[in-house]
Amino acid sequence: MTQKNLSRRRFLKTAAVSGGGLVIGINLPGCSFNGSLPIDRADDGFIPNAFVQITADNRVTFYCPSDEMGQGIRTGLATIIGEELDIHPQSMNVVSAGSHKDYVNPEFGIQLTGGSNAIRVFWQPLRQTGANTRALILKAAAQDLGVTAEQLSTDNGYIIFADQRFPYGHFVATAATLELPLHTALKSADEFRYIGKQFARIDALAKSTGTAEFGIDADVPGMVYAVVVRAPVAGAKVLEVDSTDVKAMPGITAVVPISSGIAVVADAFWRANKAAKKLRITWDTVPLASVDNERVRADFEAALAINNDLEATQEGDVRNVFAVSSDAVEADYFTPFLAHAPLEPVNATLHIQGDQADLWTGVQSVQGAQGLVERVTGLPRANIRVHNLYLGGGFGRRGTLTHLVEVCEVAMAVNRPVQLLWSRENDLQNGLYRPASLMRLKATIEANGRVSAWHARRAGGNISGDTFGNMLPAMLPALPDSMLNGLADLAEYIFSNWAVDPSSVEGLHETYDFANKIVSHTTVDHGLPLTFWRSVGHSYTAFAVESMMDELAHKGGHDPIELRLANTHNKPRMQTLLREAKTLRENMTVPEGHYLGVAAHSSFFTDVVEIAEVSVEHQQIRVHRVTCIADVGTAVNPDIVKAQLEGAVMFGLTAALHGSIDLAQGQVQQSNFHDYPILRMDEAPAIDVVLINSGGDPTGIGEPGVPPIAPAVANAVFHATGQRLRELPLRLG
Amino acid sequence: MIDFGLNGENVRFDGDAETPLLWVIRDRFKLKGSKFGCGAGLCGACTMHVDGVATRTCILPVSAVAGKQITTIEGLGTPDAMHPLQEAWVEHNVPQCGYCQSGQIMSAAALLAKNPDADAASIDAALAGNICRCGCYPRIKAAILSVAELSYDATALESET
Repeated sequence: MTQKNLSRRRFLKTAAVSGGGLVIGINLPGCSFNGSLPIDRADDGFIPNAFVQITADNRVTFYCPSDEMGQGIRTGLATIIGEELDIHPQSMNVVSAGSHKDYVNPEFGIQLTGGSNAIRVFWQPLRQTGANTRALILKAAAQDLGVTAEQLSTDNGYIIFADQRFPYGHFVATAATLELPLHTALKSADEFRYIGKQFARIDALAKSTGTAEFGIDADVPGMVYAVVVRAPVAGAKVLEVDSTDVKAMPGITAVVPISSGIAVVADAFWRANKAAKKLRITWDTVPLASVDNERVRADFEAALAINNDLEATQEGDVRNVFAVSSDAVEADYFTPFLAHAPLEPVNATLHIQGDQADLWTGVQSVQGAQGLVERVTGLPRANIRVHNLYLGGGFGRRGTLTHLVEVCEVAMAVNRPVQLLWSRENDLQNGLYRPASLMRLKATIEANGRVSAWHARRAGGNISGDTFGNMLPAMLPALPDSMLNGLADLAEYIFSNWAVDPSSVEGLHETYDFANKIVSHTTVDHGLPLTFWRSVGHSYTAFAVESMMDELAHKGGHDPIELRLANTHNKPRMQTLLREAKTLRENMTVPEGHYLGVAAHSSFFTDVVEIAEVSVEHQQIRVHRVTCIADVGTAVNPDIVKAQLEGAVMFGLTAALHGSIDLAQGQVQQSNFHDYPILRMDEAPAIDVVLINSGGDPTGIGEPGVPPIAPAVANAVFHATGQRLRELPLRLG
Repeated sequence: MIDFGLNGENVRFDGDAETPLLWVIRDRFKLKGSKFGCGAGLCGACTMHVDGVATRTCILPVSAVAGKQITTIEGLGTPDAMHPLQEAWVEHNVPQCGYCQSGQIMSAAALLAKNPDADAASIDAALAGNICRCGCYPRIKAAILSVAELSYDATALESET
């Protein structure tokens, strides 16, 4: 195929640009990662495993292995372990776990929060841990009280014997001498006291009183503040810097070249940020500098025209069906690059003292944070403490940790504690993005509404290779740059030429049980850094698939819900949701001039159907109400599940109505919330969430609410106006 | 030298008079509940009350508040003595990531101080300057309405008796 893929420059070069030689040891990755638990006051009380600490005064601490970015994971996981340990989640002290192998996400194999998987993958292990710990305390209590364990019961952190209550803490000294049982029986669902029940999330009070501590709130005496000027075109390197004016500005303490650009260090963030704008930097030229929006779209179209796709899925006999069918529907759908724009811009505070380091930040991988500090500073991993505070929004952005490389480089250069904060302009212009996509879908349906052939193609960049490249130095800090570059290049090569990156095509067929289908892909990568963005590939594929389903329904004269029912015969959970949606729709009172649009999508093991009620006046799309029907199996905390769906709808609406990161000469054109608008209160629809809990293990909830909303709105706009909008953000014209 | 009131106490700032109020409050007075989100007065995360008016402080030089009374989220209420809005926030499980919530609550408090029985439309107008990236808007609105309705009920009750 044509050489569309511009070479990208990696941000792996972490050898000390500033301040002396960097010694990369030959310690094997993971060595100290296996060491003692990163628990403060580890000699205080009883620590039967990495997750629980019970002190003699009955303070029960849960070390939460996943990072709290608003999804409610501290409450959720505390509920799961608290259920079996028999202690109310609000009675526990819940803290963010440090870096240790025992906190590794069982599915990822690394300590990482993402992919809407934490509740699902920790469900079994944390229940078992809670049950085992409770059994041990019962055993210790029985021994201390001179009774049998069967004579005892528990209640919210207390052992009950006849009419007496003893705090768990009473028995921890004895418990510490006993062996932890490993296979304690778990509760049945009808015995749950906390799971599935309604109570306030454990961080609600702190977050409503300004007392919750986020990364940006870290405050080390004597710290200086750093702002980095990065390449306006991603990947470009500094050729020349003139910092004469800047150094004379008040409060400026240093101007430091680092691997990603030039850091301005001052006695206050606002001064560093102001001075940073005055730096005169000449950057070298990278291929991305020739790329603008039109070029992106044209390259995607050219790639689809050449049709040198790699096949991701192939079932049945699509080509023969198309060959004999004269009425296939074919359409292109385009979705732009997007930024995450978490309200707290990424930041980190680092204090190196001798051979010790403390890092305060809010990231989606504590292990990665520790690994990067190890890599850049050369300090032994065991001496690096990561204090992961609340994340002011994540959405995938805080899975990439390059800002930690920056803070290390600056701290080493100025030899003082440093707080590094990205400005909003940095966040929008120098970050990582949801890739743009052009999707071409072609399908035929039979008279009964069954899709007889389905071919879904996508052209665009791949997320996994890029993200993998950024994660490698964090996860394998001991490997040299050359080897990491080689691995990252290999991953990129594989996804461009050999196997389709699952993130690029996920969602292009899985919701339905089409018998004849092909999903195929062509990588077109322009070199803009890419990463996961809430719901990842589903964030764009659902727009194409669900718009096409609506086009098919319209063409065949089918009701859009009936058409989806006809194509989900083997998806019983989705069938239930669709039938519920139909009932709800029948009972809706839709005001004059308002129109409904429907979309369904399965992602992260969760099925969601959304109905958007929309009006169009003066070419303006207004979303009045969204009904969201979802099945997460078991809702650990139903109100948080509901909140995640509400938030996901709003997040998806921002993308549907406003979101676009535009390139001109390779530079991101948006700079702040005036030109990268986020949905506001006066645009926010009412949302009705209907949870269908089909039982069984819980499934993902952080992301699955996002994908259906854009197509649901687009489909409603079609019903309102007759215009089929096949591009995001939705614009009438 | 700039003197102003901060959560009921008289304070003095002797640094650069151009310093945006947000950073004076965060860096000098160590009250970290007010947040930095955009640096351009576009997102509302830095909202405080200046003489009772909800104000974006990331672009407000401290020199502009000489002699004025500043209230931050810490001055509105504390975990032990919450403002009714903060109680409503907890009751409605409003926060997700929580980063914008101080600003949301300060905007809401300024609205209710002026308009105790605010309705949905006036909430939309008063809170449109506060971005919540997590999309907690329906809960924010419900929480404010629950407090406004309390006031409405109280007023109604008073006028009946």
